[in-house]
Formats: sequence, structure tokens, C-alpha cells
Amino acid sequence: MLPGRSRTSVLVFLVPPLLLYLVAVALPIVQSLVLSFFSWDGVTDLRLVGFSNYVKMFTADPIFWRAFANTMVYLAVCLFFQLGVSLFVANLLSYAGRGKEVAKTLYLLPAIISTVAISFLFQRIYSYEPAGLINQLLAGVGLGDLAAPWLSQVNTVLVAVSAPEGWRFTGLYMLILYAAILAVPKELEEAARLDGASTWQIFAHVRFPYIRPVWVTTMIMAATYSLRGFDIPYLLTNGGPGQASELLTTYMFKTAFRSTDFGYASSIAVFIVIECVVAVGLILLLLRRGRENA
Amino acid sequence: MKKHLVGLAGAVTAFALALTGCSGATAQPSTSSTEIVPRQISWLLSRPADGSVITIVKKLADEYAAKHPGFSLNLITTPDRPSYLQKLQTLAAANQLPELFDTDATPFTQKLVKQGKLVDVQKMLTDLGLYDKYRPLALDYQRFDDGGLYMVPFEFELEFFWYNKALFQKAGVSVPKTLDDIVSLCKPLRDAGVIPISVDGQDGWPLLRYMSYQPFRLAGSDYVDKLKKGEAKMSDQVGAKAVQWMSDLGSNKCFQDGFSSQGYTDARDLFTSGKSAMYQIGTWELASLTNKDVPAAVRDNVDFFTLPTVKDAVTADNEYTVVSGIGMAVSQQTYDPLMKDFLKFVLDNYSERLAASGHLTPMQGYEPTIPAGSSDLYKRALAEVNNLGKKIAFPWDTKLDPTTNTLMQQELTLLVQGDSTPAAFEQKIDASITENAPKFFG
Amino acid sequence: MTSTVSAPERRRRLNLARSFTNLLVVLIVVVQVYPLVWLFVTSLRPAQEFASGNAFGIPSAFTWDNYVRAFGSADLGRYIFNSFVVTGVSSLLIVLLGMMAAYAIKVLGFRGSKIVMGAFLLGIIVPVQIALVPLFINYSRVGLLNTYQSMIIPLVGFALPTSVYLFVSFFEYIPRETYEAASLDGAGPFRVFFEITMPLSTNTVITVVFVNGIFIWNDFIFANTFVFEEGMKTIPLGLQNFIGAMGSVDWTATFAAVCVTVTPLLLVFLVMNRAIIYGLESGATKG
Repeated sequence: MLPGRSRTSVLVFLVPPLLLYLVAVALPIVQSLVLSFFSWDGVTDLRLVGFSNYVKMFTADPIFWRAFANTMVYLAVCLFFQLGVSLFVANLLSYAGRGKEVAKTLYLLPAIISTVAISFLFQRIYSYEPAGLINQLLAGVGLGDLAAPWLSQVNTVLVAVSAPEGWRFTGLYMLILYAAILAVPKELEEAARLDGASTWQIFAHVRFPYIRPVWVTTMIMAATYSLRGFDIPYLLTNGGPGQASELLTTYMFKTAFRSTDFGYASSIAVFIVIECVVAVGLILLLLRRGRENA
Repeated sequence: MKKHLVGLAGAVTAFALALTGCSGATAQPSTSSTEIVPRQISWLLSRPADGSVITIVKKLADEYAAKHPGFSLNLITTPDRPSYLQKLQTLAAANQLPELFDTDATPFTQKLVKQGKLVDVQKMLTDLGLYDKYRPLALDYQRFDDGGLYMVPFEFELEFFWYNKALFQKAGVSVPKTLDDIVSLCKPLRDAGVIPISVDGQDGWPLLRYMSYQPFRLAGSDYVDKLKKGEAKMSDQVGAKAVQWMSDLGSNKCFQDGFSSQGYTDARDLFTSGKSAMYQIGTWELASLTNKDVPAAVRDNVDFFTLPTVKDAVTADNEYTVVSGIGMAVSQQTYDPLMKDFLKFVLDNYSERLAASGHLTPMQGYEPTIPAGSSDLYKRALAEVNNLGKKIAFPWDTKLDPTTNTLMQQELTLLVQGDSTPAAFEQKIDASITENAPKFFG
Repeated sequence: MTSTVSAPERRRRLNLARSFTNLLVVLIVVVQVYPLVWLFVTSLRPAQEFASGNAFGIPSAFTWDNYVRAFGSADLGRYIFNSFVVTGVSSLLIVLLGMMAAYAIKVLGFRGSKIVMGAFLLGIIVPVQIALVPLFINYSRVGLLNTYQSMIIPLVGFALPTSVYLFVSFFEYIPRETYEAASLDGAGPFRVFFEITMPLSTNTVITVVFVNGIFIWNDFIFANTFVFEEGMKTIPLGLQNFIGAMGSVDWTATFAAVCVTVTPLLLVFLVMNRAIIYGLESGATKG
């Protein structure tokens, strides 16, 4: 505690941010929680229904479970790009020669393009009739047989809508991880190399343990942002075909604004919050395990 | 500390309830006065920003404002329909509906009517001396199935199947007489290397149009009016026939591959670039089907046919899907002498100007001006208006409850793609109607 | 293992590995950048050529028509201006409020600071969609719809947790002695904040602004819910305007609009590139 601080000074610094946080985040969450116990269509009066929204959600709504499973796949694809690919690229970059700076800037570019533009773009990239970029590339390298309407097939659409989200922020997370790698003491790596460790061994035994805390922060950021993922699936396929790319967030949104079932939508929202809390809890647990083992 | 927390939680909860529960208390303009007091009014629309409706209304509002200083019309448009509906529903939930807003005769709108939020348009038009000037079909499209009329139409468009004569010839097929003929055209067309029908599968409504055809021919609008309330089943004879037909369209590869991720423009471009042989759309696209950018080889070969019939049809050949566009609802809360006067001015002058821009009008007696240089097709297509029958095939998306509507659009895609079966489709739709219909039609 | 390989052989292998690395880096750059280049090329492509299905070949001609249509059908300048206002004000608030909260929690300290920190952390994991309906109703009651505030308040609120978290982590790195020395010189908590904490935090500020700025610049969902007046639309919302009434899209004009709207941020980004990357690198590792 800073000597000379006073009650007033704490209040001056704490109250404005806390107030805004309460009004913008805490209040609506509480309101949602309250609303989830009601049935409300936005026009007629609220009707208290107790837990029946939750009962329906867990026992009688196959679309909800479908959306939940899809969300998990979406999360996995995003994490693959934002943790896996970005870690790989960050490592790669640390060995690269000149032009690193330019490469870093270029990697970041997709992150500043608005989502609406990204989804317009990917609609063309995945297009089948007329052939989009991917299908033309496939035809170009003689794999024309593999060409497919990626966004129309039930078994490819989910990965296809998840990839753009993963792709666009790869650069951002890569940069954070790259920065962490830079901070790894060179002496440690040098010592390992002199001991005859391969590049992979250096990564696994020196670098990764060192950057683990940053990696976990990145993981929490990437996981929570992905669990809230909404724009790209909403704009690209609107959850279709059928419910093949429906996420919990798009399903919630539709329930609220298409079916005007605000009560049920709120209970889905509450579930998303719980799901995020659980995900972060698991990540932190993993971190503790990793530390104990290390 | 603990006490404080409990108190806070209580206050927040009470606040939350207060926010969502009570109804807004917007000042109601005095209805007793007959004086016109100019002010700003807003119209929330879902129409193209540079389209005829907005252009004409904007101009009329300016003219009205010149005579009534202090008046202005604020046009807020969200052409993308899903975004628009979200906005409309949130506004309704917050009790913030503007003076004028666009909506279809959906079950949701019917709820607003039951709450007394909308002006009775039948009464209003009669009052303004305009009711008899409208085409009955233009008004019918806006009606609820109990006959109530709460929206004003601003368009009048006929929906046709456009086809490419050259491609039909190439495949050696002729114009289909019945709906089942359409299915049997697909193989020869595919064999000739042509996409039989291009469809916008990304938006749900076009496939839903196809879904409505068989029932309309077999049972008129009765079937869907019963179906939506759960009084008829999807698995009934009429419904099953429609489901099977949709499934057949899919298994015969009638639509382009990957249609479900292809949008409105893609479908149109496939037709105008000569890759697909048929394309179902309304006369609102006439300009883009006949304009000079369309390659001559396609433009000179475009023709149209109206909705084919079926065996034992109960509706006549000249009865098919005719739409008068999304309608304009008038908020009861803010309906005052100014609104009345302004609407009379707009509606009095609107149809004439719309006709001058080359469109059919919701009022009768205005001959559309055919744009200079457009092909003979333009004229012939619009002339069909004189042959129209007495009934219209309603699009289903304005009929069904919103949850079933969404589900049916999703499931139709799966059915046509072969990812689902007719039986599974029927079962899911029937279950959804059983669950959701009572919320809207109970 | 290394002893068995001769020195030149080792250098050769190293060179090979390095060339391969560089090749991979370039390849990934292409994957990241190609779509954006394509976006730009398409915005110059004649609309008719795009419609006829040849969307990926070399354009037969270049045209500015698409740009003319893009500017004709939407007030792009307005969208850009609005996006800058929203992003700018939000970033300022996120930094200022985040720093203040972190300062109170970490530097000043108080009973219950752990609880407050926990409350903030919870916000990192709350999905924004949950707030849409209640916020909409709240805003409409107090007349905040269609204002910059209606976008800024929730954007700041939901970004605040990350900001607080990053600042708290950073403040751990500032040695206590720095503060104690300043206190002995008679500096009160306010002077310490403005004269020590703030100047030291530059890198963290850059990290916070950049990470949140990107998400705010791209925000679609709040803008789409709380704003409908044409004059208040931000870029993501404005681009949605290019989707026509029944789903029709003028693709080439849309891409032109995308290029126009991307340019200002791209310029900012390129000009500040070094500072951003440097700041991110030094800020993030301590986060």
C-alpha cells in the first residue's frame, strides 16, 4: 500500500471505473439473469415461469445441444490458429533473417479489416459456383475432384466458418508470443545448444516453459473471445445449412430477435457465461498442473 | 458489508424488473385537436436506399415540408432484412416504435395490433378517400388472415419463372405445364451442361416460396393458414406432396451445387450470365434482366412463365405469388392530424410517380412508363397484371410463427441437399408448430 | 552429436535451415496478405466481369466505377469519422479508467481489493451478447440510442477487465522503492499517478490500446443493436448497407467501400507500426 494514501484518493481512482463497469457490464448481466426466469416476447407482459426455460434448454432442445457441440469445434479451430499456428510462426520468425519487421506488420493486417468485410471476402473464397479461390486452387494443382461447396456441406461448413476467425487474429497472438520468446534469456538457449539439444528440444525444454505464463494469458484471451464468437458465422452462413454452423451465440441471438423469446434467450446467455467461467477455470487448472509437473 | 450487498442486489433486481416490465409513457398527442402542427416524424424502413420508394417519398416529403414549415421526414433504412427485423423487435420491446415503420403481416405484427399499437389502415384509407383506389390484391397481400388491414402497400410486383429459351432449346425441353414437369426438366438440362434453376439459398425466403407452390395449387391459402395454427399437419396429404416435391427438386439436382451458401446476387448472375436456365423472381428485377449489361445472347432469349399448375388444382393458372412489398405500419400513439394530412398527401401522389419510374403501382389506373430502350419483354411482363386472377399465393415466411419459420428455412436446405428425409422434415416441423404456434395463435 | 559434423557442413545445414525458414515466413505472409490484395484488385475490376464468374483471374481492365458507386450509395466519410470517434474515445477511456482502477487496486491498495479485482476478472469471460437486450432497454429509457455513448459505454465496459488486468500485471514490475522515494519527497497519490505511474506505463498503454482498439474498430454487434440513424453508423454497420433489400449485393462496389474504409486505419497503422510493435513486445511480455 502506498504510504500517504487516503480513503478519498482510493475512491477517486476506484469509483469511476467501477461505476462504468457496473452500469455497462454487471447491471445487464443481472437483468439477463432475472429475465431468464420469465417468458417475454417484448410486446406483451412478462410472465414468471421459474426454471422452465432452463428445463427446456437442457432436456427438450436438440438445437441447443447441437449449437453447444458446434461451439466447441469452433473453439478448437480458433485455438488451433491462435495458439498453435501463432506459436509456430512466432518461433519460425525468431529464426528468420532480414525482413522480420515487415513480416510482423503484414501478419497483423487481417486484424484491422472489419468483420463484415472479412465475411464478404470469405464468401467469395469458399464459393463453388462460380468457383472461388480455394476451388480454383484445387483445380489448378490437379485436385479438381476435391472441389466442394465448402459452406453448403454439412460436414465442412463448421470448420469453414471457424477458420476466418482463427486466421484473422493469428498475427495478433503471434506477436504477443513472439515478444515472449524474445524475452527468453539467450544464455539458456545457448547452453542447451552446446549440450547438443535440437531446435525442437530447445523449444520444448527451454522456450516453452519460459513463455508458459504468457501462453496461458493468450489462451484465456483466445478462448474467451472464441466462445463469444458471433459475427463471422452470423454473416457468412447465418448458422446454416440447417444448424450445421449454429453457435450458442448465434442461436441466442436468433432466439431473442427472430423468435422474440427474450426469456429463453437470456437463459442461453446465462449458460454462455457459465461455460466461459468453466473454460477459464479449466485453463487455470491446467496451468497449475503444468507448473507442478515442471 | 453483507447487508449492503443484499440491499444492492435487491435494488438491482427491482430496477431490472422496472426496466423490462413497465410500459413506456410516451406523451400522447391530443386527438381531439384537428389542428395540423408540423414536426419531425420518422419512418423506419427496410428498402434499398436508392430505390424508387425512398426516392419518391423523400421528394414528396420535401414538397410537403415546403408548404408546412417545421415539418421534416426522417427516413431510416436498413435494407438487410434480418438486421432490420432485429431492430424493429428491439424497438418494440423498448416501446420506442417510430411514427411509421415497415413490417409484414406476420404473427409478431398481429401481437402489436392486439396491443392497440397500430392504426387500422382499412379505416384510415377509407377515411382519406383512398381505399377504393387500391388494387384489391395489393391490399390483400397486407392483410392478416382474419381480414384485418394494418399496413399500407407501396409496391406491386408479380413473381415469375424466368427462363432462357436458347438453353431450353439446347436441352430439347419445353416450358413446364405442371410443377412436376419442372422436376423432369432437370435431367435433360443437366445433361446439356446447364444448371436447371439458380436459387438464392443463403437467404431463407426463396426456397420457402418453392415450398408454398404445391399447397397453393392443391388447397389455396387454406392449408398454410391451418398448418401454422397446428390444425393441419405437415405430414397431411397436401403437405407431404410439397415436401416430396422439394426433395425431388434436390435429388434431381435442379438447383446449382452449393446453392445454400449462394446469395441473391449469385443466383441472378448465374441466370444473366447464361449458366442457369431458370430463375424465379419478381418483376422488381425486370430492369436487371433486360438492361444493356446483360450479354445479348442471354438478353434476347429471356422469357417467362407463370406458376405451373398441378393435377386437380383448386386455384386458377392466373393466380400465383403477387406481392405488394413490405408494408408501412402507422403507430397509433402518434397518429394525429399532421400524420393524417401528410399521409394523404403522400399516398395521393405516390402511385403516379411510381408508375413514371417504370413500376406497377399498388393503386389501379396508372400505366407504368416503360424505360426507353428496354426490350419488349419488359412490356409483356408488366402486361400480365391485366390477366391476374382473384387469389394470391402468400409467401409462407409472413404466415408461420417466427421459430417455425426459421426452422423450416433451415430444414428445407437440408431436405433439398439430401441431408435430411421427407419424414424427418415433416416430423420436425410438426413438432415445432405444436410447441410454438400457441404462443402466437393461442 | 554435433562433434561428428564438420564445421562447413554445419554452416551449410544452418544456411539451408535458414532459407527454408525464410521461405516459410514468406509463404505465410502470402496467406495473410493475398486475400487483402485480392480485395483491392477486385475493387478495381469491372462489375460485369465479376458477375460473369471470373472473380479470381487477372482483370481485363481497371475501372474506378466501383468507387464512384460506393461513394454514391453511402456516406463513407461519415462512417470513417464515426469509427474514429468511437474507437478514439473508447481507447482513451479504457486506458484511463483501466489505469485508475489498477492503480487503486495494486498501488494504493485497500481492504477488499482482491474482491474488486475478481469482479473485474469475471468481466473478461462474459460474452457481450448477454447485455444486448437489457442494455437496449436501459438506453432507450434514458434516451441514449443512436448516440456515440450508446456504443462507447458497453465497448469500454467490456474492454475494461482486460485493461485492468494488464495494468495490474505491469504495476507489479514497478519497484516499491520508486513509490516510497516519491512519497518521502512529499508526493501525494495524485502526483505519483501522474508523474510516475503514467509515464512508466507507455508500453502497456500501447498494448491495451492496440488489442482493444482492433476489437472496437471491428465492433459490429453493439453498433448494429444501438444505432440505426445513418449519420451515426460506424464502418462495420455502414458496410452492411451494401446488402440490399432481399439480399442483393453489388460486390465490386462493396469491395471498393471496404478498401476506402480500411485505408485510414491502415495508414495510422503503418505510420505507428514501429511504436506499436515495440510497445506490444515490451508491454505484452510483462502482461
